[in-house]
Amino acid sequence: MALYELFSHPVERSYRAGLCSKAALFLLLAAALTYIPPLLVAFRSHGFWLKRSSYEEQPTVRFQHQVLLVALLGPESDGFLAWSTFPAFNRLQGDRLRVPLVSTREEDRNQDGKTDMLHFKLELPLQSTEHVLGVQLILTFSYRLHRMATLVMQSMAFLQSSFPVPGSQLYVNGDLRLQQKQPLSCGGLDARYNISVINGTSPFAYDYDLTHIVAAYQERNVTTVLNDPNPIWLVGRAADAPFVINAIIRYPVEVISYQPGFWEMVKFAWVQYVSILLIFLWVFERIKIFVFQNQVVTTIPVTVTPRGDLCKEHLS
Amino acid sequence: MGRVSGLVPSRFLTLLAHLVVVITLFWSRDSNIQACLPLTFTPEEYDKQDIQLVAALSVTLGLFAVELAGFLSGVSMFNSTQSLISIGAHCSASVALSFFIFERWECTTYWYIFVFCSALPAVTEMALFVTVFGLKKKPF
Repeated sequence: MALYELFSHPVERSYRAGLCSKAALFLLLAAALTYIPPLLVAFRSHGFWLKRSSYEEQPTVRFQHQVLLVALLGPESDGFLAWSTFPAFNRLQGDRLRVPLVSTREEDRNQDGKTDMLHFKLELPLQSTEHVLGVQLILTFSYRLHRMATLVMQSMAFLQSSFPVPGSQLYVNGDLRLQQKQPLSCGGLDARYNISVINGTSPFAYDYDLTHIVAAYQERNVTTVLNDPNPIWLVGRAADAPFVINAIIRYPVEVISYQPGFWEMVKFAWVQYVSILLIFLWVFERIKIFVFQNQVVTTIPVTVTPRGDLCKEHLS
Repeated sequence: MGRVSGLVPSRFLTLLAHLVVVITLFWSRDSNIQACLPLTFTPEEYDKQDIQLVAALSVTLGLFAVELAGFLSGVSMFNSTQSLISIGAHCSASVALSFFIFERWECTTYWYIFVFCSALPAVTEMALFVTVFGLKKKPF
């Protein structure tokens, strides 16, 4: 009957030498060369410490029903018309105040509890001699993120558009995009920018100056911008018809970059380190076996004796 | 006393591997020199770094001569400790220098590679020369 190898196990052999011997020095050196180079390889090949990571989230955006409108009028009646939801601003306008009809509606298309788009319609009544050539419009939103850090901020969508021919309607269809100058933190509450974009309680004209508002807004590290490359101007207004701004602003899913926390950083570093270390461990194990088996460094080999022979060793 | 069969050929091979990389470096040292210079540099600055690197490479070649002489003459051919040091050092040198060329490391890093991977085995080799020829000991 032919015999097959059904089972095998390695026999352990130990090598004895003093602590200050060449063999001990070799082992120390081998250990250093096993554990340190993987660290260098992982570190030098970049991305060892995860500095920045990203996740996707649809923000919770609500329109705050704050509007600031400046309509730039045509050549013959030069000047502008203005209106806002801030009484102090309206008081400052005098004759140039023109109250429009505003209707807004926020829509949750996929029924997930987060609004997906805003329908904004503004009808600015005009006299037959007035022609709108340009529009500056600020809408403010409350913007929230939840998944990693809780970000609460008040942001704005600034729309500025003009057309050489007097328009009857301005159609805007764009996304409210998040702009980050720095990554968010990975946890905690971030309410740095939970301050209103326009200081509606201020009686001073300076606080409603568009350059001032935009300059203060751009100082922020996290902002939102209305991303609509091509606002559409429709021309041919009837004499007594109002000028209409028709805006559809979507709140898309954003890719948000954030700074990973300690454990996430350590986890990725550990994964990289250990996967390279395994190769080094295997190689140096082979080298050590070679060195000791061939007595390249002087040691006394001791084969571990079976349990029954323990007394014999004691006797000798 | 050549009881360890693998040591001598592997030492020879790692020595040669290191030698080949060093000779290759003579031709492709340009990018390494540029890596340790600022974006705009004068020809004088370039020449200064170039001369430093060429000097280091030439000294390396000299140390190779020492080590190969000791190895081939039999002074250290069967000395297992020297073989281990030499294999370890030249093996790491070949790996490090190939990274040095491919990743365009700064030319100053060559000095670290030089100290640990060329000078160290050469120094032990010279110590062996002294013990063998000066103190008249057996080479293994």
